[in-house]
Amino acid sequence: MATTAPSRSPMHLLDPKVLASLSNLELVAKMAVEGFVVGLHRSPKFGFSQEFVEYRAYGEGDDPRYIDWNVYARTDKTYIKRFLGETNSHLMILLDSSASMGYGSQGLSKLQVGKFLAASLAYMASRQHDAVGVMVFADEVLSYRPPASRSGSLQGVIHTLDKAEALKGTAISKPMTRFQEHIRRRGLVVVISDFYCDTQELLDNVRPLAVQGQDVILFHLLDPSELAPELKTSTLFEDMETGQAIEVSPVFMQKEYRERINAHISAIQNAASGMNCDHVLINTSDSLDKALHSYLTFREKRG
Amino acid sequence: MLIAPLFLLGLLGLALPWWLHRLETQITERELFSTTRFLEPSKKRIHVQRKLRYLVLMALRMAFLAFLVFAFARPVLFKKPEVKVVGDDNVHHVLMIDTSFSMHEGSKLNDAREHAVQILANMKSGDVASLYAASSTLTTLVDQSSADEVRKQLPAVAADNGRLDLGAMVAALNGLLKNSKANVVLHVISDFQLTGQAVRFADMIPDVVNGRAVTLDIQQLGAKTPANYMVESVVVENRASVIASVRVFNGEIAAGAKKAGLSINGSAVQTLDVPASSSGLATVTFKNVMFAEGYNKVDIRLSPADTLADDDVRYTVFDNSPPAPVLLLTPDTKSLGVTYLTAALSTAPRGYAVEAKTIKDFDTRVLQRYPWLIIEDLGAVTPALAAALTDYVHGGGSVFAALGQRSNTLTTVPVLGLAVAAPTPVKDQATALISQIDSSHPALNDSSGWNTVNVRVYKVVPAAEDRILIAQNRNTPVLIERNIGAGHFVLFTSSLDNSASDLPVKPVFVSFMAELAQYLSNEKLLVKEQTADSYLQLTQSGGGSGQVEDPNGKKLLSLQGTTQAQEVLLNLTGYYRVFTPSGEVLVAVNPDRRESDLSPMSAKTLQDWQTSVAGAATAGAVAVDTALASKPSKDANEIEIWRFFLLGMAALVLAESLLGNRYLNFKTGTF
Repeated sequence: MATTAPSRSPMHLLDPKVLASLSNLELVAKMAVEGFVVGLHRSPKFGFSQEFVEYRAYGEGDDPRYIDWNVYARTDKTYIKRFLGETNSHLMILLDSSASMGYGSQGLSKLQVGKFLAASLAYMASRQHDAVGVMVFADEVLSYRPPASRSGSLQGVIHTLDKAEALKGTAISKPMTRFQEHIRRRGLVVVISDFYCDTQELLDNVRPLAVQGQDVILFHLLDPSELAPELKTSTLFEDMETGQAIEVSPVFMQKEYRERINAHISAIQNAASGMNCDHVLINTSDSLDKALHSYLTFREKRG
Repeated sequence: MLIAPLFLLGLLGLALPWWLHRLETQITERELFSTTRFLEPSKKRIHVQRKLRYLVLMALRMAFLAFLVFAFARPVLFKKPEVKVVGDDNVHHVLMIDTSFSMHEGSKLNDAREHAVQILANMKSGDVASLYAASSTLTTLVDQSSADEVRKQLPAVAADNGRLDLGAMVAALNGLLKNSKANVVLHVISDFQLTGQAVRFADMIPDVVNGRAVTLDIQQLGAKTPANYMVESVVVENRASVIASVRVFNGEIAAGAKKAGLSINGSAVQTLDVPASSSGLATVTFKNVMFAEGYNKVDIRLSPADTLADDDVRYTVFDNSPPAPVLLLTPDTKSLGVTYLTAALSTAPRGYAVEAKTIKDFDTRVLQRYPWLIIEDLGAVTPALAAALTDYVHGGGSVFAALGQRSNTLTTVPVLGLAVAAPTPVKDQATALISQIDSSHPALNDSSGWNTVNVRVYKVVPAAEDRILIAQNRNTPVLIERNIGAGHFVLFTSSLDNSASDLPVKPVFVSFMAELAQYLSNEKLLVKEQTADSYLQLTQSGGGSGQVEDPNGKKLLSLQGTTQAQEVLLNLTGYYRVFTPSGEVLVAVNPDRRESDLSPMSAKTLQDWQTSVAGAATAGAVAVDTALASKPSKDANEIEIWRFFLLGMAALVLAESLLGNRYLNFKTGTF
């Protein structure tokens, strides 16, 4: 008897486990974004519309490629065509690859989910003709690629992301200082990390970006076992970054640990709010649509 | 047993559970976590308790392994044996009289009988005696009987033509005395030749059974060692000369001391002086000797005879049969293939005379004269000849055929009917090495050298009933055999000249043709010279067995035995006649050369032997070596306890399973 395969929503493509089965990170990004866009039940061109809005007189510094020569022929004046969604923003993605990002209880580490998210954001921005750059950091800058919008830059970004490995400890101050030295132009800054750092340290290093006029969004990645651990027996835990071993009881993990991690998340949220940044908590077992939606909302709001 | 290396190695296995448990306590309780900044150490050290509980499991597992090791060591508990002491019990006197070939010398055998009489006279009342004749085999003449009974049997003791090996004698004795309950005094009456000493001295020490004492009494015969002549070997050269090697032990050959007489088929032919030799070895050559056709009895006899006269004569068989005719059918009698085949077959041990005839002029009516034939090129065979060959093979004839240059146009192999898959010219085919040889075939017993042969073959597709004897690496048959009726047809799928194969110029060709000729002519060669007291393998005579006549003309096999007997003992020296389906064969039997060397074992060796067997026993004395007597018997005095270890292992497995399951239930959860 013939059977028909059950129809599946494109949204399943946003499941990190499904994405993990794809070997090519660029393909992962494309699948994630297309799946997300289709899942919105809107035009696939949502957010990337080239719809004409108005004419504006050509001014010094404007790109002459956008002069409407037909109008010039009729009126002998130079006008610039403006389109909806045309912002030419810069998107800078900062991906934490410290050793703690290598943790994952569901077969998928936080770093892998972070890579998927970063690649999806880069792909989405690239389709929007935004310049995209990336910086991979741990306790120092491990790799840096300045924002660029030319053809092939997306592949370069994805290649940089693909090479990232969870190896070292976390120290956000040094990479952020280096980043501030490099960044010149106002744009969007996306920080993807588990933010196992001191809240005050985060404030000290992100605030200058906000002051520079950068629009910052913090994607806070946490594994379900970090958010709500379940432990039935006393266990010796070894810190992935420091190697320190601590024996903890199930009772502690059930109650006190959860209070502490929630307090930490709240502190990061408050710090982000204080800097006029967005904070998005991502559970790595959830699909990526929440993160992508947050990004689009954020961009729309800021752009 | 407890310090055996393997046992100690097994004990090392006890460390395995300890190592595994140590691993478990370190790895399973230690888990990686992203950060410990929010964690706090628990106040109660729970994992320490768990380690203690695992130690119980570990101890169970170690105990299990220890029991296993002990069970394999087969431990025993010893019961204290009851030591029997001479004087408190009867004695079993074992008289072992050497009856090997060397006992023919002088009056040794009579002396041996006198020694035996003396021993019997010294027996106490209640003692028992056994009498054995020791040669190649140990013959029981009287078993555990009175002295009188043994004395009656002494005249029946006679020397034979065998060889005594003291190690083999003791091994046989161990089996005979296994059930003896009394103390044993082993009286060995012999000339104790040095050549009779066992290779391993320990083989001459008899087993001690049931705590019984064994004492060795050495009765050495022959106070002096006489010089002894023998004819060591006889070789016939060029069918015209006989070369005899004469050796003397314990002396040298003086000029004119001995004469060597040659007899052919019982008739004296020549007598020559044995030349002088200080090394004790001389050669006598008889020239211009005429042999009869077929098998010849060639004797060399030394005169005057010495004290051991039976080795002064040497019996040899010389086969003077004419070379067997072999028919070779060829398109050209002057071809290279004919030359190669003729040369190879003429050098075969049997000797074959190749009769080359052209195929087109051949009269098929003479086929039946030949037991087998060769066809150099099957491509030249006419349909009439193919039909005649088919009948010939069905009737029991055999054929060895090759595919020569005239087989280019063949699509089917004559007689066999096999398809030639690619009848391309031989010169266009690639050569390849041999990769597969069926060395179990009689014609390929000596298969060394085939791997260097390069052959270009016609690709013949074999049938299911064909046996592929040789193939190339592409699984292309090179040599195929098919049994048709009562005959064999062997096909070589290349040519027998060196145009398509280098086989004819390789050394393996000669040995292959010799073996193939012997196989196809259905000739089986008997070994024509044997040592006395060896066995003649009648299966070598071909087909079933046959009748055998000893040197005295006595038929050895009954009517039933002529069809069923596989081997016959050759216990006499001289000529045995073997009647086989393929004809009469002569087998010459001579005594073992080592029996002619009368040099005795040294006195020290004999003393060491005696000491090793029963301590400080002296000749004729009966004493008990309590150390040996206290050595427990494996069968009667030990209790094996490995079964108790098995029961203990079963209990440990049960306990380990129960405890292990408890731990498994305890260690669940995620994180």
